[in-house]
Amino acid sequence: MTATATAPGSASARESAAAPVYRPRRFTLSNAGLYVVVLVLSLFFLFPIYLIFLIGFTPQSYTLFAARPPLIPPALTWVNLQTGLSVSSTPFLPSMYFSLEVAFFVGALAVLIGIPTAYGLAKLGSRLAYGLTTVLFVVNMLPSITIAIPISVVFIKIGLYGTAISIGLAQELLALPVTVFLLVGAFQGLPRDLENQARVDGAGRFRAVYGNLVPLVRPALVAAFLLSWMLSWDESTFALILYNPAASATLPVNIFLSFTGRGSPVVGVAFSCIATIPVIILTVFLQKYLKGEDLAAGVRG
Amino acid sequence: MALADRSGRPPAPVASYWRRHQDQLIPFLFVVPALVYVGYFAFYPTFKTIQYSFQTPILSFTYFNYQSNVQSGLYSWISNTLWLTAGALALQFGLALAVASILNRTFRGKTIFGTIAILPIGIATVVAAFTFNQIFPGTGAGYANSVLASLGIAPVYWLAHPWMALLVVIVADSWKNTSLVIIILVAGYATIPRALYQAAAIDGAGPLRQFRYVTLPGLRGFIVMALLIRGAQEVNIFQLAYIMIGSYPQLLTVQVYLLWEGSGGIPYLASAVSTVLLGIVTVFIVIVIVLGGRR
Repeated sequence: MTATATAPGSASARESAAAPVYRPRRFTLSNAGLYVVVLVLSLFFLFPIYLIFLIGFTPQSYTLFAARPPLIPPALTWVNLQTGLSVSSTPFLPSMYFSLEVAFFVGALAVLIGIPTAYGLAKLGSRLAYGLTTVLFVVNMLPSITIAIPISVVFIKIGLYGTAISIGLAQELLALPVTVFLLVGAFQGLPRDLENQARVDGAGRFRAVYGNLVPLVRPALVAAFLLSWMLSWDESTFALILYNPAASATLPVNIFLSFTGRGSPVVGVAFSCIATIPVIILTVFLQKYLKGEDLAAGVRG
Repeated sequence: MALADRSGRPPAPVASYWRRHQDQLIPFLFVVPALVYVGYFAFYPTFKTIQYSFQTPILSFTYFNYQSNVQSGLYSWISNTLWLTAGALALQFGLALAVASILNRTFRGKTIFGTIAILPIGIATVVAAFTFNQIFPGTGAGYANSVLASLGIAPVYWLAHPWMALLVVIVADSWKNTSLVIIILVAGYATIPRALYQAAAIDGAGPLRQFRYVTLPGLRGFIVMALLIRGAQEVNIFQLAYIMIGSYPQLLTVQVYLLWEGSGGIPYLASAVSTVLLGIVTVFIVIVIVLGGRR
């Protein structure tokens, strides 16, 4: 249980009432050192993202083919994106469509399986719930490439090889655990009486769960869907091992192929820009849902 | 809460067992679809990999897959992978502790800094790999050398030495994955009562001793979990390394991929290396389970 909300009158509420009110401190000489460190770290985190777009919008003679590529673009161009995303000569449209198909499948399946799993875990006795959580946690640690090869052997046999469903089913292994951890927290945050009340009013267990509880955890569901969507959008190991070279591949797989000598780098550059825009927006949006307790499978110190 | 019967009475018939335990059995049924799914798509393939690793194409038992890989350099792939893991974990935890301790303070711009610090979590690994390849290429060009040149330093051939190549992968991987550690450690900081710091300060502890005697013990559980998660993921690092440095030095995952790529769908040789990879990850998994059991 993560009862992090501070109840009025609890120890920490009293403590913060007694302590002086903290206000964000302005820039002063005494915290100048802090701001220098913050600035350096921010540059470290932002610089590669800047480079993705710098390389995307600067003529290649100043980037890929320059001995001393400049950090500030001497000229800007649309040519890279036009060449890389050319509908007639690159796999842009089918690849984009395939990526979207896989990502929406992964997001939807995560929510579909995640709801009953998280509800069950929230209701189970702590020892059993702990064991099952550990199972999901272990799934997250298994090497993708180790799992992907036997899966692809099976999918070749049953004719699912290279389909969006087959890649989505494999990627779900990464999305499901984090979805479940997120939703368990949400379910546990609901008052116990809500479900009992619905049951007393004559709702069956399914109606109580889907009619009364699920609507209350909607923000967490949206977050879980988007997080799963994003994991799939970025994922490339399952997508690489399980794609069918004769059919479509996801954007990250095409980026991988173009940077490992099996395609034009300009395609990779253009695809990288396109693939990066939605995930930057999603990360900012999802920030408040990315909780350490969920990502570490409920560690409590 | 556990409703298991601990009275030691003899087992009752099925119907009464269901009645007495339905508070636990019904929630369990809700979990079954997920268990079937991970059983079929995670644990069964894992078992298949181990089985393949001891098989010949005519399905007889063999050690050949391992012997062949040992001759090709299996031990060096293992040591490269472990060095990379150790280096990346060290850098990521150093960085993440710094960022998390900054985010534990109050200052103007904290929210923006928090967002910036987790942006890399959304960037696709292959995109990060390409970008860092443009910063640290093996050709003597690249953005890092542009900066060095402006300082009057001669260009560096980043991939000329295996240690250097592992180092640039460590830097790139830490850029991509420190965010996850930051998120976990920030959650850890939130569990440390402010009063402990005030008490330590009154007792005369400076920032360093506060860090040693208040922060680190408070974060211990979170640090251990983050180390295990990142450790297992680090061993599995694949495309980032392959795009940046190719096969020099060679890592276990890259070797699995190349063996599989070149095999035309015959998984046996690749599975032997895969199983070794699995063995290393199992060490992390066992620690997770043992630590969990002690909680």
